[in-house]
Amino acid sequence: MSLSGVWTDVVGQASAVDVLASAVAGEPGAMTHAWLITGPPGSGRSVAARAFAAALQCAAGGCGDCRECHTVLGGTHADVEVLSTELLSIGVKETRELVRRAALSPAGGRWQVIVAEDADRLTDQAANALLKAIEEPPPKTVWILCAPAIEDVLPTIRSRCRSIHLVTPSTAAVAAVLVRRDGMDENTARVAALASQGHIGRARRLARDPDARSRRADVLALPRKVGDVGSCLRAAERLIEAVKADVAATAEVTDAAERESLKAALGIGTGAKQPPGAAAALKELEKRQKTRATRSQRDGLDRALVDLVAFYRDVLAVQLGSGVDLVNEAEAPAVQDVATASTPEVTLRRIEAVLACRTALETNAAPLLAVEAMTLGLR
Amino acid sequence: MKFRVERDVLAEAVAWTARSLPVRPPVAVLAGLLLTADENGLALSGFDYEVSARAEVSADIAAEGRALVSGRLLADICKSLPAKPVDISIDGTKVNLVCGSARFSLLTLPVEDYPTLPEMPSRSGAVPADVFAHAVAQVAVAAGRDDTLPILTGIRIEIDGDTVTLAATDRYRLAVREFTWKPEQQGMSAFALVPAKTLADTAKSMTGEVELALSSGASGEGLVGLTSSGRRTTSRLLEGDFPKYRSLLPSESLSYATVATAPFHEAVRRVSLVAERNTPVRLSFSAGELVLEAGSGDEASASEALEAQLDGDDIAIAFNPTYLLDGLGALDSSHVRLAFTTSTKPAIITPTTAEGGGDGTEYRHLLMPVRLSG
Ligand SMILES: [Zn+2]
Repeated sequence: MSLSGVWTDVVGQASAVDVLASAVAGEPGAMTHAWLITGPPGSGRSVAARAFAAALQCAAGGCGDCRECHTVLGGTHADVEVLSTELLSIGVKETRELVRRAALSPAGGRWQVIVAEDADRLTDQAANALLKAIEEPPPKTVWILCAPAIEDVLPTIRSRCRSIHLVTPSTAAVAAVLVRRDGMDENTARVAALASQGHIGRARRLARDPDARSRRADVLALPRKVGDVGSCLRAAERLIEAVKADVAATAEVTDAAERESLKAALGIGTGAKQPPGAAAALKELEKRQKTRATRSQRDGLDRALVDLVAFYRDVLAVQLGSGVDLVNEAEAPAVQDVATASTPEVTLRRIEAVLACRTALETNAAPLLAVEAMTLGLR
Repeated sequence: MKFRVERDVLAEAVAWTARSLPVRPPVAVLAGLLLTADENGLALSGFDYEVSARAEVSADIAAEGRALVSGRLLADICKSLPAKPVDISIDGTKVNLVCGSARFSLLTLPVEDYPTLPEMPSRSGAVPADVFAHAVAQVAVAAGRDDTLPILTGIRIEIDGDTVTLAATDRYRLAVREFTWKPEQQGMSAFALVPAKTLADTAKSMTGEVELALSSGASGEGLVGLTSSGRRTTSRLLEGDFPKYRSLLPSESLSYATVATAPFHEAVRRVSLVAERNTPVRLSFSAGELVLEAGSGDEASASEALEAQLDGDDIAIAFNPTYLLDGLGALDSSHVRLAFTTSTKPAIITPTTAEGGGDGTEYRHLLMPVRLSG
């Protein structure tokens, strides 16, 4: 089937889109009240969840142009609740409101859709609080849970959901989107798509923002900067700084835009005195932005580590002469240098060191310590 | 969009609509108030995803159109305006407001991002606003407040021809209120479960005659609408099975007591002061007398005796003092009648007079007793 409307942004996921679109079309047995969308970071889980939600609310099944599609995708639709937590875990407090929402009739008469973007972050108690609501929701309530992998979600929850798996989109699919939607030239699009390793949002930023490219180059300069202990520690510090700068650059724009629109909506700064509750509302936004920054930094660091793994994989490819396309085409000389100066065994050991650092960070290790341990291991 | 409207008319309508806007909007546009000028006049709308409010007022419309502006700001501005006609027009991304020598320019919010407002269901019937508000308040006290049991946070509305029944329960008490009204169609029947807080707040703000609209058919399904004097509120409904409460109301009781409401209420409050939070207050009824006690043994304790009429066997029964106070407080009669079967079965409170009686079904408040150990 050809992709159109809201589905055009669900890149490289033909089979998943097929299943979701048939559910929207009301084909017999295709619809159910609880879905679990899984897929690796960057595969577009939340994009797919929102597209599905929009298609359910749209009278034309997801045209992409009507008011319902527009407000779902923009996050203001009355009947689509998105829990996109910046917290590291989702507790009972956050789920209470969802349980209530699940029991309400839709204001627009179609569906009451509840999207939980990080179902893998539900605590056991929170999951228990949701169980009944997910198992027997009212006829018009639909749950869409997202997580990296099925195993990340508690068995009691996942057994109640129909599962949809997203794959890492192909380089060609990502490049095509950059050309079509962002008007990039083919070469820039291809290089960015390769470098992003199938992460669409990342690819778009690399293609559009030269600063993002140079910050990434900073990260990839690390393998040539590790020598004695002092240089390793400096390299670790530098990596963390680079990630912080990268995250801050994106956050700055979003944060300011959010603040301005909230101020306008609350009627602040137009001369009249500050309305009651405005300060609290702004403070709440600030808090939300702060937790989001913490989360983005973790995600950003993880992405940097994924980039490093890809770099060493390129090195290995050169060392083994496998002739595959390099992920880091722009860094080909550096890849060559490192490949000549080491052996495949050393490269494998270095990949292990980076992966060990990722694991440590997943279990909440202090970032600087974990990265220092890694850079020392990269010598 | 361009229109002229009277200052008081605008200020009142804006104040009423802005009242329902969320103080901490989950998305910025929800803090906006939508102005719609068309051939019917001016409409002001607000929405917090659950409840929508819409006030319609007459205005001289020079050009039709829509604009979304900060609700709080507009409400503040309206309060400060001189008593002169107000001219409002849209100019690019600004809304200009001119009233006498006062001029304001308000930023518009993106109207295309504003959520679709719910459609008003069609009218089911009407009842005087004061009757409705009082009835709602009488049952709302028994509604639950735990959001993890959403069904119990609602008020069930049942329409059966010219009788409307409201009911709410949190499993420890149940309040049921009946009243008659003017249905749109004879013999109609409908039911809905409305969030109790929303219904109580809305009912309180209405004047004159309230028109109630319950969902029927495809458009506006799953909504309740309340209209009075050009002001319309819709609320989403709670979905799920409300407890079959009629079977909880015992068909007959073994003893009945009649007590003057106000002294009873005061006495419960006094004796419960000594008790730790929510430890029970014990009531012992015998011929001509009611003894109230709270606390025991080593703790502080209190007791008080009141005059009471008893018809039937003596009975001792205990209640959560807060629930008992809520039940007595919901009555509007000089006397209360309590009907008992045993000390472990629910008691029923109904309004009555000094002469007794009170078999009516207008208002019934059922209370689960607290089992006393030993
Ligand atoms: Zn659409």
